[in-house]
Amino acid sequence: MTERASISSTPAPTDWRDAAHQRRMAKRYAAERRFRWLGLGAVLMSAGFLVVLLVSMLSAGLSGFVQTQIALPIDFAHSRLAIDPAKLRGRGADLALAAADLGAATDAAAIAAYGPDGDKLLSDGAWTRVRDQLKADPSLLRRRATVWVPAADRIDIAAKREGAPADEAIVAKLDAARALKTSFNSFFLTSSDSTDPTMVGIWGALKGSLLTMCVTLLIAFPVGVLSALYLEEYAPHNRWTDLIEVSINNLAAVPSIIFGLLGLAVFLNTFHLPRSAAIVGGLTLALMTMPVIVIASRNAIKAVPPSIRDAAFGIGASPVQVVFHHVLPLAMPGILTGTIIGMARALGETAPLLMIGMRAFITAPPGGLRDPATVLPVQIFLWSDQVNRGFVEKTSAAILVLLVFLLAMNGVAIYLRNRFETRW
Amino acid sequence: MSLLVLFFLIAGLGLIAWLSARMRAARFRRASKARFSSLPSHFGGFVAMWTVLPAAIFLAVWASCAPGLVTDRVLTDPAAVHLPPPGFERAAILTEARLISRGDGFGTPTPLAATLAPAYAAAQTRADWIGATVALLLAFASGAWAFTRIRPDFRARNQIERLIMALLLAAALVAILTTMGIVASLLFESARFFGMVPISEFLFGTHWSPQVIDPRDPGASLGAVPLFWGTFFIGAVIAMIVAIPLGLMSAIYLTQYAAPRMRMWMKPLIEVLAGVPTVVYGYFAALTVAPLVRDFAVAIGVRWASSESALAAGLVMGIMIIPFVSSMADDSITAVPAAMRDGSLAMGATQSETIRRVLLPAALPGVVGGILLAVSRAIGETMIVVMAASGVATLTLNPFASTTTVTKQIVDLLTGEAEFDSPKTLAAFALGLTLFVITLLLNIVALTVVKRYREAYE
Repeated sequence: MTERASISSTPAPTDWRDAAHQRRMAKRYAAERRFRWLGLGAVLMSAGFLVVLLVSMLSAGLSGFVQTQIALPIDFAHSRLAIDPAKLRGRGADLALAAADLGAATDAAAIAAYGPDGDKLLSDGAWTRVRDQLKADPSLLRRRATVWVPAADRIDIAAKREGAPADEAIVAKLDAARALKTSFNSFFLTSSDSTDPTMVGIWGALKGSLLTMCVTLLIAFPVGVLSALYLEEYAPHNRWTDLIEVSINNLAAVPSIIFGLLGLAVFLNTFHLPRSAAIVGGLTLALMTMPVIVIASRNAIKAVPPSIRDAAFGIGASPVQVVFHHVLPLAMPGILTGTIIGMARALGETAPLLMIGMRAFITAPPGGLRDPATVLPVQIFLWSDQVNRGFVEKTSAAILVLLVFLLAMNGVAIYLRNRFETRW
Repeated sequence: MSLLVLFFLIAGLGLIAWLSARMRAARFRRASKARFSSLPSHFGGFVAMWTVLPAAIFLAVWASCAPGLVTDRVLTDPAAVHLPPPGFERAAILTEARLISRGDGFGTPTPLAATLAPAYAAAQTRADWIGATVALLLAFASGAWAFTRIRPDFRARNQIERLIMALLLAAALVAILTTMGIVASLLFESARFFGMVPISEFLFGTHWSPQVIDPRDPGASLGAVPLFWGTFFIGAVIAMIVAIPLGLMSAIYLTQYAAPRMRMWMKPLIEVLAGVPTVVYGYFAALTVAPLVRDFAVAIGVRWASSESALAAGLVMGIMIIPFVSSMADDSITAVPAAMRDGSLAMGATQSETIRRVLLPAALPGVVGGILLAVSRAIGETMIVVMAASGVATLTLNPFASTTTVTKQIVDLLTGEAEFDSPKTLAAFALGLTLFVITLLLNIVALTVVKRYREAYE
């Protein structure tokens, strides 16, 4: 009782029911709610940007995987094609088909089937589809057959979404005659760059990307891991190792285009390596990726507890054996996670590759490391510059392929981290 | 002999050396009961190393000096007296002759190159054979010498480990070499540029139009101030107006308010924004955002709304930067000791008051460091501005007007068909040097700020 009395003798207690106090509290709580909503809004907006980005690429790009085809009846028996069916078996097939003027025959068939402007309904590369059909089934030469060939760009657009009114009318007419179908565009995954949006594909760029990534991985991974081992396990603390450390940390933050300038000045102008080749692209990206791998590897190596090293030393292992037999295997999951993340960044990189000339128009997939090549992000950049409307969906479709690769790589990295993360 | 065959031969020799040395060492071990300092595989590795390394080093040296020797030999050919005096033309003919001799020639060859080609082929074959023979002899000799050193008391392990340490050191030196390469190539090419254009005109000139360069006064149209302004305007002003509030508020919400499950999902989701390739952002900016921005500008009555506006590029760049700001802010907010927050809450402050008056001020150095790093990244970002910003350099404050940036100009200058001595192409390296120096300074300042702050709480 006496205690309460002493409390009440202190200055007047807060009057919780006082109107002014209530107002002040209401204001403070309102501010609290506003702040909270602002935070939630920021999170949702940031995530919303990602959703908008993905949805806009999906809606523009999915149609790139679909191709409009037109039925083209060709009477091979009466087309006077100078092809000997016997030659279509075996090695001479390509030569025999190249000699015959299939382009003209295809155009003639289209004019016969769809009137004087019939040949303009077909893609410029339609005859290659006829050629492939003939190669697959030489017996076609003796009869009348219907070949499905890709439609011209404007018909393709009119069939998928809004095109010019005249094209829409043609599409409606073809559709009524059941001469129009849409199917999965497997060609998009197997062919290379072209000037005709109906004939383009990403295989050339994808192969270029794979070759470039191989070079990058083969150089950046060993060099990165070894230098991380040196710095973390053996390096004495002196001015030299400080210098190495500072340069690695700085390299990780240098803008990527600067690496492009380095590649241009050193690999192309000094060592005279071939322009636009996968090997130069890989070297340039390796220099860029290496610091990322070094930093990730150092963190993974640092996380291995000293007791493991001590135990290995205790049974007489040499410093090299301790590191290569014990520390490195235990740090490997962390190193691999960092490597995958670094490679994902290199895979999406464009600017340094533009500097070393990887923006050429290349219609064949590269055969080797010194061949002219392009990579997927650069291909996207090149297509995005095209004025032809047909390229819009192809660009977005290529972006989807690139994003699938990147998400898969990041997914693997997250899986590795969760699966092998050890708490010592 | 082709390089690949030679490579396999030497590798095969190395393998044989490894196996035989291993076997011999294993026999020692069986024969005596003494303790060895090295395992049989150490002996194997030692001999293999001596077999492969000298040959490999010789080949590397030979590959760099053989072309010169081959050319010298070709010049002794009687036909070579018709060659023009040293210079560009002479080099071109020699290159052509070399290509023909390799079967890579195209078009109709110059007669002189065609006559020199056989001599070239002969000299090349000779050089190849000399290289191959010496390399193989070297591999064999040094391998055999190493093999004779295998005795029970020989410490092969120490030798191997010394080599491994040298390898590790060499790997670590690559970073220094790269940095030196960057600095040297930028400095060298920039020095050539500043030989033609005074440095003050480049740094303080306000007129940039590299398409029309007056050969008598190249500096007049190579003033980079509009580029610096455009870069700053897009990367440090517009992008940050988007990224700082969104990134900071996201970090605050995710660390202070969000339920663990929401944090688990939203944090990686926002971080995906940093993993999207910049070429995708660029395409998004050019295809979707730029027309929207222009329509908006026209709707609010802006007269000169460009479809390549600073705003479109800056907005998308800001989106790209959000995760950098938010994860740096996240780190520094969670690093603030819980006692400070609890103290404030115990005093009766609401959560938002605690965040604004206690957590943020305490985390400020880390947040500022993160923002500086984000600015540095935005300034160096290339693809978004290449695809969404314009090529016209203007000094403007109007976000709907077109501006250009340093990185976009570097790409534009170097992807044209210009030769490598013109001020136009060299200007790209001067711009690169400026960019390198600015981002380096920003990074150093940012890291220092972050580091100093971290030390305060540990």
